[in-house]
Amino acid sequence: MIGNDIVDLAQSRLQSKWSRKGLIEKLFTTEEQYFIKKHYNPEIMVWLLWTMKEAAYKIYNRQTKIREFSPKKLICDLNSLSDIHAFGTVFCLENIYYTKSIISSENIHSIATNNLENLNHVIEVEKKDIIKDNHGIPYLQTSTMTLKEVSISNHGRFEKVVTYK
Amino acid sequence: MDRKELTEKLKEIIKPYAANTEAHENLTEETDFIKDLNINSANLVDIVLDIEEKFDVVIDNADMERMLDVKTAIEIIETKLAAK
Repeated sequence: MIGNDIVDLAQSRLQSKWSRKGLIEKLFTTEEQYFIKKHYNPEIMVWLLWTMKEAAYKIYNRQTKIREFSPKKLICDLNSLSDIHAFGTVFCLENIYYTKSIISSENIHSIATNNLENLNHVIEVEKKDIIKDNHGIPYLQTSTMTLKEVSISNHGRFEKVVTYK
Repeated sequence: MDRKELTEKLKEIIKPYAANTEAHENLTEETDFIKDLNINSANLVDIVLDIEEKFDVVIDNADMERMLDVKTAIEIIETKLAAK
């Protein structure tokens, strides 16, 4: 399964005050708070972890059909991190999700899969031929009329639609 | 504080985060924060923090998890206020 999430950094600066008192504690576990604190640019780490959680939540929601706002139940770990890339893992109860993120000065985009190998088979596509089921979960209708999993994320100036190769 | 008063107070709190202003204007207990008001999920935590400040209550993780619509939010606030 697949999930993705993008944060437009210009938009988030207008919409969210991440340094607001009590906010970090409500969204992030103690270890995640430590990642944020020790990173040279805390803002980037806040949105990196946030997009990882959101991308993973989209899979969790597909699997369980449960809708909830439970950011601290999605526990992030970072396996590798550079200025432009991050690879991580998100745990949610007994589920494990694998994430790959791209960081730029404009946005942070994370994709998640529930199978590590599938992470390499994710591609971006145009937003067309999308249908939604009664849970609001989107699918891509292919030319042969089969349905492919797709995940859509938009924020501010950016929109990303991802599916498997 | 009665339920109507509480709903009005909550409506005021939600206003700055509701992208769909028309749905906000016509807000009812059935209104969903994300599906109907198009609130950005990152702002749900702001709503929780605003509720804590304005009503002087503490919203724990278990309550926050369920806070996706007006009805549930009101019920949680009512329970917290009654326990004070």
